[in-house]
Amino acid sequence: MRCTLSLFLLATFCSVLHAQSAREIVRRANDLMRGSSTYAEIAMTITKPEWSRTVGMKVWALEPDYALVYVTAPARDKGTVTLKRKSEVWNWLPSVQRVIKIPPSMMLQSWMGSDFTNDDLVRQSSILDDYTHGIDGVDTVEGHPCWRIVLTPKPEAGVVWGKLVLWVSRPGYLELRTDFYDEDGTLVKSFIGSNITTFDGRTLPSRFEMIPVNEPGKKTVLEYHRLSFNVSLYQSFFSEQNMKRVR
Amino acid sequence: MPNGRTVLAMFVRLAWRNLWRNKKRTLIAGGSVFFAVFLAVAMYSMQTGQHDFMIESAVGMTTGHLQIHGKEYWEKRSLDQSMVLDTALLRRVASLPHVAAAVPRLETVALISRGTVTKVCPVIGIDPPSENAMTGIDRRVVRGVRYSAGGEGTLVAEGLARTLGVDVGDSIVIYGQGYQGVTAAQVIRIGGILHFAIPDLNNSLVSLRLPDAQDLLSAPGRITALAILLDSDGALDETADAIRAMADSELEVMTWREMMPELLQAIAADNGATVIMLLILYVVIGFGVFGTVMMMTAERTREFGVSIALGMKRRHMMAVTVIESMIIGMLGACAGIITSVPVTFYFHRFPIRLGGDYAKAMLAYGLEPIIPFSVEPMIFIGQGLVVLAIGAISALYPVLVLRRLEPVGAMRGARR
Repeated sequence: MRCTLSLFLLATFCSVLHAQSAREIVRRANDLMRGSSTYAEIAMTITKPEWSRTVGMKVWALEPDYALVYVTAPARDKGTVTLKRKSEVWNWLPSVQRVIKIPPSMMLQSWMGSDFTNDDLVRQSSILDDYTHGIDGVDTVEGHPCWRIVLTPKPEAGVVWGKLVLWVSRPGYLELRTDFYDEDGTLVKSFIGSNITTFDGRTLPSRFEMIPVNEPGKKTVLEYHRLSFNVSLYQSFFSEQNMKRVR
Repeated sequence: MPNGRTVLAMFVRLAWRNLWRNKKRTLIAGGSVFFAVFLAVAMYSMQTGQHDFMIESAVGMTTGHLQIHGKEYWEKRSLDQSMVLDTALLRRVASLPHVAAAVPRLETVALISRGTVTKVCPVIGIDPPSENAMTGIDRRVVRGVRYSAGGEGTLVAEGLARTLGVDVGDSIVIYGQGYQGVTAAQVIRIGGILHFAIPDLNNSLVSLRLPDAQDLLSAPGRITALAILLDSDGALDETADAIRAMADSELEVMTWREMMPELLQAIAADNGATVIMLLILYVVIGFGVFGTVMMMTAERTREFGVSIALGMKRRHMMAVTVIESMIIGMLGACAGIITSVPVTFYFHRFPIRLGGDYAKAMLAYGLEPIIPFSVEPMIFIGQGLVVLAIGAISALYPVLVLRRLEPVGAMRGARR
């Protein structure tokens, strides 16, 4: 009797420990990429079967509600600014000298021709709070030993995915790969991190690829050239006036 | 012994005399056929006319009968699936026999903004002369300068102008994505205001000259569709095949049936209802004609009995009654067709104009609320033949009666 009870307790304890550690791994991986405020210089390369182009940008972000993106290249789009304030997106168009608010019906349109939508910029779904986490085993990605973690959305969370599979490197907590599955369990897209570099004292992947599975020849690559954490930024920076001033 | 031909002539003469022996009876029988044909023709002509009108206006206002696109454009609706406007192809298509107009268009969706108001709108680059031949866009200009009068080109639909609070001469911002993801943003002065019956279009459409649209969207020389209007929907498939043969495989050729399946379904559903109505009409007509024939037969039972008792062959008697029925049927059908011709032509020329909720529903579909009648010759011939067939079946009744007729009983007034 006592034996059974202790076994039961042990089993319960183990599973709690297990769940906690999966969540803990995801939390640490997530924290690594974030700061209360960040500044980044990114080159985004959009590849489609017929064409490709690279958009250079500077990004200021104040977690979790504010972000401002200043486009530096190509020349035709230079100076375009996208401002995210809570769930709203605004664009400053230097060529016509106007600020335009993106209406809700356009939120699912692609942002700057990429595989990201306007909605991706503002969506608040949290990889920590909207999913339950479980370690699925160990694996290697590009030579890095990894935990393979399965994320299942909680029933009440407004998440479009059926499940997510994350590969987080064992030392370092680098999120090296994420697979997005739809509700039928089909792989929709993969998000792959590589090219590990040190930014502002943190060791991180500096190159991310978003590869949609069903659309051969299409992908979006993000390359970080600079990334600083906890820079001094205030809410007032994310204003309509500043969209026109920022360089 | 008289030969076959004179016998037949005699039968016809007998039948003719029989008919006019009782004028009232003949006129009632002929009249029932006449009304049957008239009603069937009118009803079918109205339905066919309405469907032709729906197709013609839907096709003429929007897609055209056929469209040539870049591969997968129709599915993805992206400028990346646009195609280079091939003037040689355009000329060859325009010179095909049934082609009434070939209209190049560059279409996309963009944000239209003025002050704090922003709306998502279809923006379409058009070639004014050919567009006028098809959709008659100049006729829809209610204020400002038409294309044909040298207007500078940016026309905004009435409802959209009201939403934005703008009018001719004001400026709006067009902001969207051009060819291959390039940002498209421009301040444009409104040259005119368009009015459309279709609320969807009236609340959103923005139209530019094709070169201006190509410039805005960084798509020089490109179009998203070449819309083709035919002089008749009957030439749809043959023209589609001819164009497929001349366009290279990087292009897709689609008919309105593929592009507007909902219109096809609406027509199919409506046709189903029409078939049921026509069947009911045919049954009513059938019993009317049959009833008349039955009465006629009953009235003449004694006469049949006497003729047979006197030595007339049953076969000959049957032939005479069949000829009688045929004459009645023919006269009734001809009269029905002749009467329905002016009526249908009148409503073809001056369609019935609808009011109330039905008119609103049609406007929502983007159709003018009228019902023009069709004057397709097949309608008259077809409906005439159907009613004649009903008459022919009814004519079998006296034949069956004659086959079993007991001359003695018949003369005594027995029913059989």
